[in-house]
Amino acid sequence: MSRAMTGRWQQAMELDELWEGEMTGVTVGAEKVLLVNVDGEIRAYRNRCPHQQWELSEGDLDGGEITCARHLWVFDARSGSGVNPDNCRLTDFPCRVTDGVIEVDVT
Amino acid sequence: MRYVLVGGGVASAATAAGLRKRGFDGEVVVIADEAEPPYERPPLSKDFLGGTEVVPARAPSWYADNDVELRLGTRATALDLGGRTVRLTAGDDLGYDALVLATGLRPRRLPGFDGERIHHLRTAADARGLRAELADAQRLVILGAGFIGCEVASSAVALGKQVTIFEPERAPLARALGARIGGVLLDIHRGRGVEIRAGEYIESMTRTAAGLVLTSNLGHTVECDLVLVGVGARPNVELAVAAGIDTGDGILVDEYGRTSAPDVYALGDVAAQVHHGTRVRVEHHDNALRQGRTVAANLTGEAVPHTDAHWFWSDQYDHTLQSVGRARDLDDLVVRGSVEEQRFAAFSLTDGRIDAVIALNRPGDVLAVRRVLHTPHEVTAEALRDESVPLKQLLRTVAEEVS
Repeated sequence: MSRAMTGRWQQAMELDELWEGEMTGVTVGAEKVLLVNVDGEIRAYRNRCPHQQWELSEGDLDGGEITCARHLWVFDARSGSGVNPDNCRLTDFPCRVTDGVIEVDVT
Repeated sequence: MRYVLVGGGVASAATAAGLRKRGFDGEVVVIADEAEPPYERPPLSKDFLGGTEVVPARAPSWYADNDVELRLGTRATALDLGGRTVRLTAGDDLGYDALVLATGLRPRRLPGFDGERIHHLRTAADARGLRAELADAQRLVILGAGFIGCEVASSAVALGKQVTIFEPERAPLARALGARIGGVLLDIHRGRGVEIRAGEYIESMTRTAAGLVLTSNLGHTVECDLVLVGVGARPNVELAVAAGIDTGDGILVDEYGRTSAPDVYALGDVAAQVHHGTRVRVEHHDNALRQGRTVAANLTGEAVPHTDAHWFWSDQYDHTLQSVGRARDLDDLVVRGSVEEQRFAAFSLTDGRIDAVIALNRPGDVLAVRRVLHTPHEVTAEALRDESVPLKQLLRTVAEEVS
């Protein structure tokens, strides 16, 4: 469910603030976004578990997998695809790092 | 090669998916006595009663896309282990190279409590029946304050129904969670207007033109429109018993999911599996999915024991109850957080090791414990009670100190 890129980049947070192996929830425009730093690669997803819309930022990131705290649904942090169960995926947003700032396109 | 999966729940669906994911290219046949493809049971006592749809375990097109044959509305009636065949209700025999038994549970019934206005809850058909009758009912009596009873009470209250629960124990979920946490749930349900008659159970029932009249062991009577019987479930072991496969409380399997019969596996709610040295039968959704992946691996040439921690959740009102592991003694728990504020994690500690946590409205704590469970660590009750150190950090530190 990758969205078409519209080029409306918005600054989300400083790269320095998101350590490798960490994830955090931010608000970009009207959208709650989960920013993930997997071994130096940044990913941006909608901050909602597809199961029951729980905020994924309350879960954890371990071994390249995001686990939702509510019902322990597990997702691959790099691709956003479901690991358990494997028939779902996170909604991703285009993101990039410009001059040390993480930018996300939520449009 | 043909693998036959008996049972139409998520355990079978997870096994089928695991087989295809691992590149198994033989036949996969799922025998399901229900009329619909595998679906998620957890929502049936929760959101479904409020009006949501049945959630399929896999997309409807998945089975055809992955060449998995679903035989719905079909039961396996007998096994011939020597001839490696399964007899089906249609009368035909289906040969197998490997057989997976995921026959699940059926609700325990109380003698005399059957027929109109009496409900049990296991299948989507059960839930549809309950939902349809709840629409016109005002007074619901639930027999048993287990997970089903508590969750249906929560759903029925949201629909504006008047709910009474009879529970022979002193508190809801006392056997699963202990008296103290059961007491918290008692408060939660009563706070929502549910009448919980703890220490009391229904002995008899009479039918009137308007509904049902129930009489309790204490001689009290209560009138109602509907009854939900939620007094536990029984594993469907008959097929295995008749075939001479070892059973006890469930179909006995080893760490790999193997029964006593060659090339016959069992998993899900029906399987009593050796898990970290203890035989345990787990009636939880997450475990069925995880066992499905393990069995699929073991059917495709690997030897993977099922060692994942047992985990469950229950959503009641706006509360999230979760547990991971197996408590040594439910009357001896170390509490972090506030029981009064209904936000806490209760740890079972054995010789400095956490063997379980039960948490109310603290999902992060459960995640953190899950990481260290079944791994070497040493922690004190004092440290667990001290909220000045985040639990995740504490457990990371204690695990590193030991290793």
